[in-house]
Amino acid sequence: MRILIAEDDPVSRRLIQKTLERDGYEVVVVDNGRLALEKLCTSDGPRIALLDWVMPELDGPAVCRKVRENKQQSYVYIMLLTSKEAKEDVIAGLESGADDYLTKPFNPEEMKARLRAGLRILDLEDRLIEAREDMRFRATHDPLTSLWNRGVILELLERELIRSHRERASTAILLGDLDHFKQVNDTCGHLAGDEVLRETARRLLGSVRSYDFVGRYGGEEFLIVLSNCDPTFGPARAEEIRKAISQRPMLTAVGPLSITMSLGLLQSQEWGLRPAGVLLREVDAALYAAKEAGRDCVSVARPAQAIAEHVPPFRQPARQQS
Amino acid sequence: MPPHTKDGSNFIDFGELLTRVENDRELLVDLISVFKVELPKQLAALRQAVESADAQRVAVLAHTLKGMLSNLAAHQAAAEASRLEQLARAGEVSALPGVFSSFSTDATALLREVDSSLAEVRG
Repeated sequence: MRILIAEDDPVSRRLIQKTLERDGYEVVVVDNGRLALEKLCTSDGPRIALLDWVMPELDGPAVCRKVRENKQQSYVYIMLLTSKEAKEDVIAGLESGADDYLTKPFNPEEMKARLRAGLRILDLEDRLIEAREDMRFRATHDPLTSLWNRGVILELLERELIRSHRERASTAILLGDLDHFKQVNDTCGHLAGDEVLRETARRLLGSVRSYDFVGRYGGEEFLIVLSNCDPTFGPARAEEIRKAISQRPMLTAVGPLSITMSLGLLQSQEWGLRPAGVLLREVDAALYAAKEAGRDCVSVARPAQAIAEHVPPFRQPARQQS
Repeated sequence: MPPHTKDGSNFIDFGELLTRVENDRELLVDLISVFKVELPKQLAALRQAVESADAQRVAVLAHTLKGMLSNLAAHQAAAEASRLEQLARAGEVSALPGVFSSFSTDATALLREVDSSLAEVRG
């Protein structure tokens, strides 16, 4: 654990430094408050600090206040070193945001024990952040495939459509559905079906750029949002994705399975600014057309076609036919 | 024989200092070396602040010296530095030269004698 010592007296500084190095700390030393603040406010700065109360440029309590104002960084556990013993001084120190204080001349064992209490607080904070991040991930991702879940991929689609319209760019929307997936579940079991879904997710992610979005839209349906995708290249990109699924069998516990995917493709620039729900209905119709055309192919939603042809009602993702 | 203050107590309580450095004699020698370089600089700055009746500066310098001396278990000198700090904070500028003079004498004697005491510690 890295620890910052801010102390203007070289004797005390050396004494604290050696004491803490012996205890296994990686010690960073500075001799004034301004430098202490600089070190503590860097993104990977020390998370535990021993600050002398009286220092040139900025005193310990002032450093505390400024560190606490910076809400972006991880919590810094701060202990003030002081030879001030009056109650009002101690109160002022703690009110400035310090977690603890130590009176000079200090006992090395007491200092180390108090710092261990600080480490426990930081450990607790780390675990809380980890739990929060885990909950955030669970709230936004599909638990089986770890792709964006339905709610998030729809939000991302809406955002991308607005952005691409504003920037006069085009977003490609791909709705893919695994062919005959019900048969996989029925004949090979749901565990094999889960393996197929996970492998599909891996292959889809491997086929798109880092700034594209892939989400699990429903049971075996996947929504892919390709940002800034030139309409000239949309069909080719969709073909690459289709082939990524079908080009080689998926290895499962029950053996290799040949899996294919049908896809509907829609390119936003050809449709103007329309609500995501409307475009989803169109791309769903294109997917339906791909199924009708024999599966394992891509069908493109065209505005003229959409107007001329009967548009089937928007289907829920848990489709019966696959 | 280790140097003594007017009341007979050791300038530096080496027993206490050894506890503070967790019996690391190398560190103790290191601290004394830093102290020998640092004290004259601090004393000179303090003298200048006292002579120019800069109470605020005297308070800051005396505070730093107090911390340094107390961490070295030089209690008598630390108490004198503390007295100087308190007077400066109270704005009693006229009292500063007298207290500084006494502190400076003891601190200089401490500096002069610290080597012989160190020899005893080294054994």
